[in-house]
Amino acid sequence: MEQLKTIGRELAMGSQGGFGQSKEFLDLIKSIGETRSKNEEDRIVLREIETLKTRLANPNTPKFKLKEYLIRLLYVEMLGHDASFGYIYAVKMTHDENLLFKRTGYLAVTLFLNEDHDLIILIVNTIQKDLRSDNYLVVCAALNAVCRLINEETIPAVLPQVVELLGHQKEAVRKKAVMALHRFYQRAPGSVSHLISNFRKRLSDSDPGVMGATLCPLFDLITTDVNAYKDLVISFVNILKQVAERRLPKSFDYRQMPAPFIQIKLLKILGLLGNGDKKASEHMYTIVGDIMKKFDSTSNIGNAVLYECICCISSIHPNPKLLEAAADAISKFLKSDSHNMKYLGIDALGRLTKISPEIAEQHQLAVIDCLEDPDDTLKRKTFELLYKMTKSSNVEVIVNRMIDYMININDNHYKTEIASRCIELAEQFAPSNQWFIQTMNKVFEHAGDLVNAKVAHNLMRLIAEGFGEDDDTADSQLRSSAVESYLHIIGEPKLPSAFLQVICWILGEYGTADGKYSASYISGRLCDVAEAHSTDDIVKAYAVTALGKIYSFEIAAGRKAEVLPECESLIEELLASHSTDLQQRAYEVQAIVGLDAHAVENIMPMDASCEDIEIDKSLSFLDGYIQQAIEKGAQPYVSESERSGMSNISNFKSQEQHESLMHSLRFEAYELPKSSMAPHVPPVLASSTELVPVPNPYNHTEVHYSATPMPSVSNAGSSELKLRLDGVQKKWGRPSYSSPVPSTSNNDAPKIQNGTTQRDSVGSANSKARDVSYDSRKPQVEISPEKQKLAASLFGGPSKSDRRQSSSSQKVPKNNSHSANKSHVEKTATSDTVAVKTSQPPQDLLDLGEPTGTSIPPSLDPFKQLEGLLDLTQDSTTLNTGGGSGTDAPDIMSLYADMSLSGQGNENPLSTGNDSASLLSGFSDAANRNGHGVNTVPQLTQQLSKGQNHKDSLEKDALVRQMGVTPSGQNPNLFKDLLG
Amino acid sequence: MGIRFVLMVNKQGQTRLAQYYEYLTLEERRALEGEIVRKCLARNEQQCSFVEHRNYKIVYRRYASLFFLVGVDNEENELAILEFIHLLVETMDRHFGNVCELDIMFHLEKAHFMLEEMVMNGCIVETSKSNILSPIQLMEKAS
Repeated sequence: MEQLKTIGRELAMGSQGGFGQSKEFLDLIKSIGETRSKNEEDRIVLREIETLKTRLANPNTPKFKLKEYLIRLLYVEMLGHDASFGYIYAVKMTHDENLLFKRTGYLAVTLFLNEDHDLIILIVNTIQKDLRSDNYLVVCAALNAVCRLINEETIPAVLPQVVELLGHQKEAVRKKAVMALHRFYQRAPGSVSHLISNFRKRLSDSDPGVMGATLCPLFDLITTDVNAYKDLVISFVNILKQVAERRLPKSFDYRQMPAPFIQIKLLKILGLLGNGDKKASEHMYTIVGDIMKKFDSTSNIGNAVLYECICCISSIHPNPKLLEAAADAISKFLKSDSHNMKYLGIDALGRLTKISPEIAEQHQLAVIDCLEDPDDTLKRKTFELLYKMTKSSNVEVIVNRMIDYMININDNHYKTEIASRCIELAEQFAPSNQWFIQTMNKVFEHAGDLVNAKVAHNLMRLIAEGFGEDDDTADSQLRSSAVESYLHIIGEPKLPSAFLQVICWILGEYGTADGKYSASYISGRLCDVAEAHSTDDIVKAYAVTALGKIYSFEIAAGRKAEVLPECESLIEELLASHSTDLQQRAYEVQAIVGLDAHAVENIMPMDASCEDIEIDKSLSFLDGYIQQAIEKGAQPYVSESERSGMSNISNFKSQEQHESLMHSLRFEAYELPKSSMAPHVPPVLASSTELVPVPNPYNHTEVHYSATPMPSVSNAGSSELKLRLDGVQKKWGRPSYSSPVPSTSNNDAPKIQNGTTQRDSVGSANSKARDVSYDSRKPQVEISPEKQKLAASLFGGPSKSDRRQSSSSQKVPKNNSHSANKSHVEKTATSDTVAVKTSQPPQDLLDLGEPTGTSIPPSLDPFKQLEGLLDLTQDSTTLNTGGGSGTDAPDIMSLYADMSLSGQGNENPLSTGNDSASLLSGFSDAANRNGHGVNTVPQLTQQLSKGQNHKDSLEKDALVRQMGVTPSGQNPNLFKDLLG
Repeated sequence: MGIRFVLMVNKQGQTRLAQYYEYLTLEERRALEGEIVRKCLARNEQQCSFVEHRNYKIVYRRYASLFFLVGVDNEENELAILEFIHLLVETMDRHFGNVCELDIMFHLEKAHFMLEEMVMNGCIVETSKSNILSPIQLMEKAS
């Protein structure tokens, strides 16, 4: 076998070699091509690097050899190894007179170097020279390099020549010059702002290639400033018309479409220009309508143009006729069996729903099919659509779906995106506080480390402030439910830090508020959190501060703060913490526990986190006390700056502020230290009493401490000060500075148990949630109600109760989950078969599986209908599980069969033309089966049985292909299937 | 910017051609190529020819053992890019005659030249096969 392979390669080379490629080169490529592991490949490349180093260093290497070495260097770098030792040879090669060598040199340079590489400077000169060449191919090669290598600084060196080349007699040169200018515009728009008119001029170039290329820079320009190009609307429309009427040379045709890529570009531009501009849009209606009428639905490219038309229509000023045509096209896309078409359909639907929201409703079932499709790409696209059509009536269903999906993916990039979308939707449309909090909990639990910290602060604020209605009972209910839910969640392992912070804060603030949980229970749980996250200082800080709050609420209520032993030891431990922040908090908690009820009440009023806090920076409340002390003969206070002889701090600070205001460096030297200008006023006094909404915490702590030298400030006083800081922080501040108060706690055994059971229930709730996301793949009979339900809740669902109902019923199929796999197969299979059989309207799908009147359109009476669905679901569930477990094996097989068959059928609609048939067959090894697509059942089964053989032969085919890859005589069929 | 990169990778994950229209370091490229190929190999034929990866959208098409992958940004028409891949293959086919993986390997620079004619600054600038191939043919004649 191995031998055969080699022979094949040898033959392949026989037919291809001889273009100056050495045996050595062929051997290298051959060995790279034959490697079966990354290690092997690396070994070859490393050996090659050594060879090339010595070879390239030899000054007498002939040029054709050098060119070959460069290509070998390209391989080195392409396969992931550093080839920087050879860059200079690539640069040298660009100087060569021979066009092929020069262009290879340029190619290597553009692949090796980025525009800021040091070696570029050595090439600029060559480029300049080549731009002046008489050989237009040399000029083209240089312009290619310009597009890759010229950066902002070197633009002026080539700009005049490039501009001159815009008028070159060769169209290839003009085209590349336009693109070079485009590149300059991308890199430094200012450098070519005076040359923009050239793009307009080139739009009417006699060569369609140049015109087509000019559309690229114009697209960018129009994106940034639409209004400056409104005058071109008519030109673009005319061009598009000419293209559509096949006025361009045949060579631009692709699959019998006239210059489709140019059409697409033009449609994009028209979409931009017509956006929100009725007058401009009116010019476009006719041509866009014509293109849509003419389009060729059998080819991919025809559909690509059609899709672009829909994008254009949804962007320009709406026209009823075109919208109708677009809606028709979308339904064609969605009904297609090709996932690519469905994908475009969903995307187009998302664009069109902005203009006519009712369109989405017509396609409810198709949308839900896509949502439940195992294909991730399709699913995500559908989520995007749902995101666009979210409103307050369907937000619950949509966000729950999103969260279910989010929980199950690993891709952090997308997780972050979908989490922030959930949050955005929840904040915007939340139907109730409870729901909002539960949603946020889920998002935090699963993606807490990925979302913005601000979201956590928002959540705390929301719970603290309520929803703004003056309904205290609702607010406290909200809080109780938050506490409840957090006590459930808190035991889960691996909660993200941001979420734990929220939990601790809420438990501290409201844990004991409704009297349901004892202080010692809450404090025990908090203590657990701190212990379980002993490496996370921020969480610990939140936890200990929350403890402080619990204790102080206890004391304020006249009870004794009962500090559980483990809380005590936690506080002990933190007193000696390396983190000064933790230390301070621990000391504060300790101090609070020792205070009397009256003092504590002042420090930590219940539920005061939202009060505005006034900070008396001048400490005027101490005036009386100071007066007394001075009268008793105490020394007046000498400010720290005076004591140390430093220049006045406040002065200093204000200077700094000034500077930062001026945004400039300060060049003069600082003045020598002087005694302060306002010697008797401590620096902070200057700002006197004022309301401080977002204070800089550092400042205030400073104030606090510099003021405390007064030894006997009453406890109440000093703590009052702290308290204020605390409140400030809670609301906006950074977590590390909120220094609230303590409580006791410890968990006794029963409570732990309690905790675990709770955890369990959470777990099962979760799995329930997951089930929900799968349930729709359950047997067919129940799918339809499920889907319809979902459809109703997504698209129709006008009343709240309706939605609730639906979400509860979603959980029903859970008991069925053990047969999920099987039924999954069944579902896909059956629905596919159905799809193949007919092009019946989607409603009929429902009828198939349903004995009762569940196919009443959702709009009639969703509520009632849903009840019906629910029952049905249960029935069918039991039925199916019963059948599924025992007897189903053969059936499942046949379903598989159906699936693959329908797969074949699927390709048919696309492959009507011979041309496109071969196109499709090129998709893959397995694609041969296309073309046999037959729809009648007996034939299908035949094919099925043939399927195996087919597969074998395909495998063989693939093997052969790998072995004897001669494009010529030896293997005439090779790759035939690629391109008919 | 449109097209961010064009890759040809075989089903063993070995890169056969790579052209980036934005700068990535060697390590970034290596990682990216590995991740993308793994993702695309895991998909079946019925699924979309488009995959999201990081901030790219990958449009891919498989020809025998070779994957053609084009990374685009959000503004592109995915289906058109899919056809662009086919146009590229057809163009190579016209030049090499029954193009295969080895043709690309033995004539890496020519495959690059064709791509250079078709895509500049991440935009599709030329779609006429004769316009794409004529400079390459002229060059071959000259040397």
